[in-house]
Amino acid sequence: MQLEALLEKYFGYTSFRPGQKEVIEQILMGNDVLALLPTGMGKSLCYQLPGYIFNKPVLIISPLLSLMQDQVDQLKQFKEKRVVALNSFLNAHQKRNVVQALHHYRFIFISPEMLMQQQVLQKLNTMELSLIVVDEAHCISQWGFDFRPDYLRIGEVVGNDNRPPILALSATATDKVVGDIKDYLKMKEPFEYIHSVDRPNIHLTKFMFYDREDKIDWILRHTTETEGPGIIYTQSRTKTEMISEKMLQAGLSAAAYHGGKDTLDRQFIQQQFINGSLEWIVATNAFGMGVHKQNVRQVIHESIPSNMANYMQEIGRAGRDGKDAVAILLYAEGDEDFARFIGIDELPNEVHIEIYDNYKVRNEPPSNMINNGEISETGFRVLNYWMNQLSTNEVKNVLQNMKNEKLQEVNEVMRIVKTSQCMRKMLVQYFGQNLEKNPDNCCSACGISLQEIINPRQQVELGHDEMSWQKRIEKLLIGNL
Amino acid sequence: MIFQQILMQIFHKLNQERTISAPFHLLRGKRSGQTIQDVGIYQLHHFFGILPKLSRKKYDEEISLLIEKQFIRTDEAGSYELMNNHIEDIGNLPFDGWHYRGNEHVFFARLSLIIQSLSHKKAGQMSFIPIQKDEVIQQWVKNFLLINNFQEGTIHEQLMAEMIHSLENTHIEEKVKSIIINRLAGYEVAGFTWQQLSFIEKVSEMDIQLLYIAGLHSWLNSITSQAEQYPLLNNVAQNVRINIPLTGSAFQSTQLFLQGYSIEQISKIRGLKISTIEDHIVELAMNEPHFSIEQFISGRDVQLVLNAIEDYNTKKLKVLHEVLPHLTYFQLRLVLARGDL
Repeated sequence: MQLEALLEKYFGYTSFRPGQKEVIEQILMGNDVLALLPTGMGKSLCYQLPGYIFNKPVLIISPLLSLMQDQVDQLKQFKEKRVVALNSFLNAHQKRNVVQALHHYRFIFISPEMLMQQQVLQKLNTMELSLIVVDEAHCISQWGFDFRPDYLRIGEVVGNDNRPPILALSATATDKVVGDIKDYLKMKEPFEYIHSVDRPNIHLTKFMFYDREDKIDWILRHTTETEGPGIIYTQSRTKTEMISEKMLQAGLSAAAYHGGKDTLDRQFIQQQFINGSLEWIVATNAFGMGVHKQNVRQVIHESIPSNMANYMQEIGRAGRDGKDAVAILLYAEGDEDFARFIGIDELPNEVHIEIYDNYKVRNEPPSNMINNGEISETGFRVLNYWMNQLSTNEVKNVLQNMKNEKLQEVNEVMRIVKTSQCMRKMLVQYFGQNLEKNPDNCCSACGISLQEIINPRQQVELGHDEMSWQKRIEKLLIGNL
Repeated sequence: MIFQQILMQIFHKLNQERTISAPFHLLRGKRSGQTIQDVGIYQLHHFFGILPKLSRKKYDEEISLLIEKQFIRTDEAGSYELMNNHIEDIGNLPFDGWHYRGNEHVFFARLSLIIQSLSHKKAGQMSFIPIQKDEVIQQWVKNFLLINNFQEGTIHEQLMAEMIHSLENTHIEEKVKSIIINRLAGYEVAGFTWQQLSFIEKVSEMDIQLLYIAGLHSWLNSITSQAEQYPLLNNVAQNVRINIPLTGSAFQSTQLFLQGYSIEQISKIRGLKISTIEDHIVELAMNEPHFSIEQFISGRDVQLVLNAIEDYNTKKLKVLHEVLPHLTYFQLRLVLARGDL
């Protein structure tokens, strides 16, 4: 059967999006593939469709529990029952059952930690897989923005002889990161599909302020005058609450979103945002993954992101429907200090190394550092990996280099802030590509008129749902009110 | 504000005889001998375990506010003193922590997934992303829906009738009923976040959550006390209410005791210290209203203890023991455990 016919049969789409078909064809030929597709371009389909063509399980290594859950949910929505997630959410009993029956599944999602476990490895060795997918493959690179030491071992585990093809997926990656992915995964002359990182329908702009407070005033004025839906990114939980509170008081429909919100709240916010009853989300970078909203018109950065990859990913949530959208970067004198702080916040330093060594001397497991509040989990993961590889002094060097790298990344972002040249060109070049064409209303430097891109806000009476609780129960259970 | 008022109510009941941390352990439902006994001694059943996830940071913040507003004063040893400033009393919110201990969230999780499923079923949309991620909850709800033949579509009306009727017969404010129902979601109906509810009701998010928990306790009590009237809801509330709230080990000891073994014998059988078994008996006395403490202490002595508590205005064991040296700590604790003094 033609690939297009299979696509329609299993997913109901009539055509592929750019890159999908090329990637899938290479996988079907048995080749390793490295695909860089921007967020929202249908990365997952590149392994989902082969899953139906091959009659053997697809193994998907995924670094984030939330991401994994989202992908499992998505497949279940397409009525796929043979899908499972092997991660730390499972208790010992559930895990045993899942591992035993592993060969029955079509799609097996697994966290890198789980992949290293003996019983899982043993089971996988008895099975024939059709494809190994390494999602968010940039996590393998210590130069990437999201280094996961566990990822380094994937290459060892999946072996070299007789293995099925590997598909490494990522949204954006610099040349350096691409090199690391190919090396560590021991990919065999992979086919590379690299989609342009440029999104011509996202218009880039920036505004400078003397005072941080002025940014908040600007946001309040801007959001009362122009139309969303939009996302406002800021760097602390407290700020998401503070800004959204002010917007609510100004009669706007807004909500705060961050990692500290309970799971129901997060879902309510996403549901409201998608159905249009919520116009603005004020979020930390915890927001975005698994949100499939097509018509986001504005993404505003209240504070500058800590690196270009984050910036790219966050503005990439605008205009997925292909229509015009705007990305607005706000900057006030001194913002880079905070971005630097955030950038290196989770990175272990010399003090942590010392504490780590002390635990060793006392014969106490260093992982206790996490529970004793001496280090974050992410920080420990990085530290522990290197302490097992290198001498204490070498680790100090490695960490110092990582720190410099992170600080350098903030400088890269600052170049976009300070430049008087084309923002788009600079952004695209950062990812090792060339900009082919500047769209109309390209960016602050090339000239941009916001009025041509976003609409003035329609005055709507907000007034929350005044429905009685009895009516609401009826609406939920019987519908049509 | 409600949270601070609750803290003040607890501080009052503790009569300045416990540390500043005692309410923290009580609210989190710490299952240590001390906390459990304090529940009985100071009659704090309804507040026990209403906030199992309360963080120390949040707690300390609220305590600082109470100090700042001069409702309490603390010293370095960790004790506290009530000041003369009186906080406006909210009266009693209908908490029943002792019997639910966080399980009300299990009830609500099941209910919200049932509602979400039925709502989508009604709209003919059987594929949706479940709002509850916990596999145990998902499995439970699947069974519930199958057993109740949800495909036939009659369960919708019945559940609606049960929910409306039982809530109408629950004595809580209308706005609390709205808060609870607004946390449900369904087909093209999104739930309200805590931030939104807090904005609508003009109280803090913490207070909204406290109103919600008290509301759930009260609603659950109406449902379980009229089980035959609300068969579906009572099923959703299955194993949510804790009727013999004894810890595992205490449960074993008291089972032996009720079979006629003496404290010494139980201590030998279980290989535990006498004092531990006594702790268990105290816990039993506290939880089982029909358990007679007179097998350990005479009615006259009980009266003496009660008098001493009143005369010296204290429930401190050490003081009581000094006043009544002929009674053991065990006997004193039994009297205190009865609580209804």
